[in-house]
Amino acid sequence: MKYGVPQEQDWNALDDEAFRAIVRAEIEANYPQEVRYPSRRLRWQELSGWYLRMAEKGWIAPAWPTEYGGMGLSPAKLLLFFEEQERFGVARFPDQGIVMVGPVLMRYGTEEQRDRYLPKILSCGHIWCQGYSEPNAGSDLASLRTEAKLDGDEFVINGQKTWTTLAQDATHIFVLARTDPAAKKQAGISFLLADMTVPGITVRPIRDIAGHDELNEVFLDNVRTSADNLVGPLHGGWTIAKSLLGFERIMLGSPKLPEFGLQVLQSVAEASGAGDDPVFQDRFQQLRLDVAHLGDLYRHFAGIVGRGEPLGSDVSILKIFATETFQRITDLIVETGGPLGALQGDVLIGDRTIDLLGPYYKSRPSTIYGGSNEIQRNIIAKQVLELPSR
Amino acid sequence: MRDETLAMLADVAAAFAKVDGQRVRRALSHDAGFDRKTWVEMAEQGWLSILVPEDRGGLGLGMGASTVVARQLGRAAYPEPFAAGTAVVACLSEAESAAAWEPRLAMFSAGVLLVSLAWQNVRGELDPGVTAAGDGDDIILTGESRLVAAPTADAFLVLARLGEGQALYWVGRDEAGLAIDVEISADGGRSARLRFDGVRVASDACLIAPARTAEVMRRAMDVALIVSSAELLGVMDQALEMTLEYLRTRVQFNVPIGSFQALQHRVVDMWIQRQLTEAALGGAVSVFDNPRASVDDRSAAASGLKARAAQAALFLCNQALQLHGGIGFAEEYGLGLYFNRAITLSAWLGNAGRHRRRFGELSSTVGVTAGGAA
Repeated sequence: MKYGVPQEQDWNALDDEAFRAIVRAEIEANYPQEVRYPSRRLRWQELSGWYLRMAEKGWIAPAWPTEYGGMGLSPAKLLLFFEEQERFGVARFPDQGIVMVGPVLMRYGTEEQRDRYLPKILSCGHIWCQGYSEPNAGSDLASLRTEAKLDGDEFVINGQKTWTTLAQDATHIFVLARTDPAAKKQAGISFLLADMTVPGITVRPIRDIAGHDELNEVFLDNVRTSADNLVGPLHGGWTIAKSLLGFERIMLGSPKLPEFGLQVLQSVAEASGAGDDPVFQDRFQQLRLDVAHLGDLYRHFAGIVGRGEPLGSDVSILKIFATETFQRITDLIVETGGPLGALQGDVLIGDRTIDLLGPYYKSRPSTIYGGSNEIQRNIIAKQVLELPSR
Repeated sequence: MRDETLAMLADVAAAFAKVDGQRVRRALSHDAGFDRKTWVEMAEQGWLSILVPEDRGGLGLGMGASTVVARQLGRAAYPEPFAAGTAVVACLSEAESAAAWEPRLAMFSAGVLLVSLAWQNVRGELDPGVTAAGDGDDIILTGESRLVAAPTADAFLVLARLGEGQALYWVGRDEAGLAIDVEISADGGRSARLRFDGVRVASDACLIAPARTAEVMRRAMDVALIVSSAELLGVMDQALEMTLEYLRTRVQFNVPIGSFQALQHRVVDMWIQRQLTEAALGGAVSVFDNPRASVDDRSAAASGLKARAAQAALFLCNQALQLHGGIGFAEEYGLGLYFNRAITLSAWLGNAGRHRRRFGELSSTVGVTAGGAA
């Protein structure tokens, strides 16, 4: 086995319910109670016990092909896997290595890069973060100004990244940097990998309005990375970034977070007695249908990925609808809480303790990050609906 | 059915049901509210036999094929009662004594005998206000049924209460004691109000006996919900296409108005609802065709789909009207055919609110009080 550990069996050959039972049993028996349904992004050290177990079991990369050490799950099985995680409130770890770097290296990396990085991603020996956004390059990402200059057999990187999730925990960062200042915007950008422990990197947490500090500014001051950490061609990073964005849109468009919201909403309804109110019921069923039909849409796109076909610009619909549905669900959670909806943290409601505002805050930036929903609508208007530009 | 076969069927249906507002207006001007000749041509295409099992002389092509045809009919705003027809087929092919009813199923599928269901009440539930009572060997029907498609039908399948249960009866349009009033729906189509004043039918007019009526009617309802949702999807296809074309070509302030971001984002929201309905239709068809899905799963998927399609079509058509400006409100332009069709189909067999409720009742949600399933 070149990458990771061998799979116990061919999961896709199993009946859906048999597979679901195996996943459920593993989670219920081993996932730590104290980190179920967290209201903030947890740090790596809070989750390392569970995810190191997943790594040893070969379950850390459910969507990766088995030849690269993943579980090789079909779209339908992957959805079941996510559903079971959500049902139990399994927390997300700093998983950029699994969801972003791995797939990029499989598609654009060299054999040597795959050999160097994939095993460490699979073992959680390396934790990755994303260096994309900059203070003056948000929606207009291609205007980024962080520079990388080749100096002998090393790139020297200077600049500033921001909104970097869990950079505190990361051992490595993937960076979009300008390597050709003379070229047109998109044409002069390269995709580089760098070690976070080298001199010149400073991480400064950003306190957010929910009181958390999972987001960071990352300053790069003469940071050196070996030239063989260039992924894809020199100045060819934008294509990779764009393909990752399509990939990110399907991930941000998965029904995971809305499913989680629905479960919280249902708990609140049970605890408060709102479930007997026909007005609540109508809104609740509307939201359940939104999530059910998001699932139908997600299976359509996951099927395209599963068949190895390219995703079109229409995949933006997933990100838009998943995040806006998540917000509508968390709006109703807080509204159903009534006056209790003003209280931070775990709130005693009926005979239960439920964090009402946690999901609400969690859902707010989802329509901003990963390409704001306004940008997604622009993309659909121009590239799918072929409406004229100004 | 394979995707390529369905795509071919869609092409055939699109070539048959061309977008032609004048044709629709002419069809609506008939007493029936549709064109009987077109109905026969649709039957000749085999479309009324799609859901009839092969061993009953049908094509047995399944739900996917029916919805592919329905979508194209919706795209052309056809007033011909295709969705209602699929429900009739779902009942006739489940008749008690197959041999006795086979000729009528064959005549219906061929388009020569027009039959319609009197089955819903004004809330869109399967409980019309008709009562059946035995009188010797005969059955006496009393009461009233609303919102019956095709008032010019040669015969009606009448769902009636019989004691504690329900049964389905065949009633010819000329039976003594049956009065047929016509009501006009938003799209200009017709629906019948049937009044049964002691209508006497022989006991062999019983198509489905009480033991199986609930099951057969529920399935027929689910079929009609899925097929009418597919028609609504076709309505959305065309209203969206008309709007996009208008935004690309209408010039104000010296630019095509489709270049304005405020309008682009609104039309993207219309498109999103169309795509969701399409995905929900695919999901519902696969649940319906899955022999391992439970009856409740099937009905929940059908109701969930109808709730989506009804809401999405009304939203999309209202946005289309706004984005067109004044011209969309003019009958002559043709957007109104879709606007009005959306109102009609959204309400038929229960609107979005009704089907959100049925979806909630049928799909398990632990701890939230559920009512009885319809």
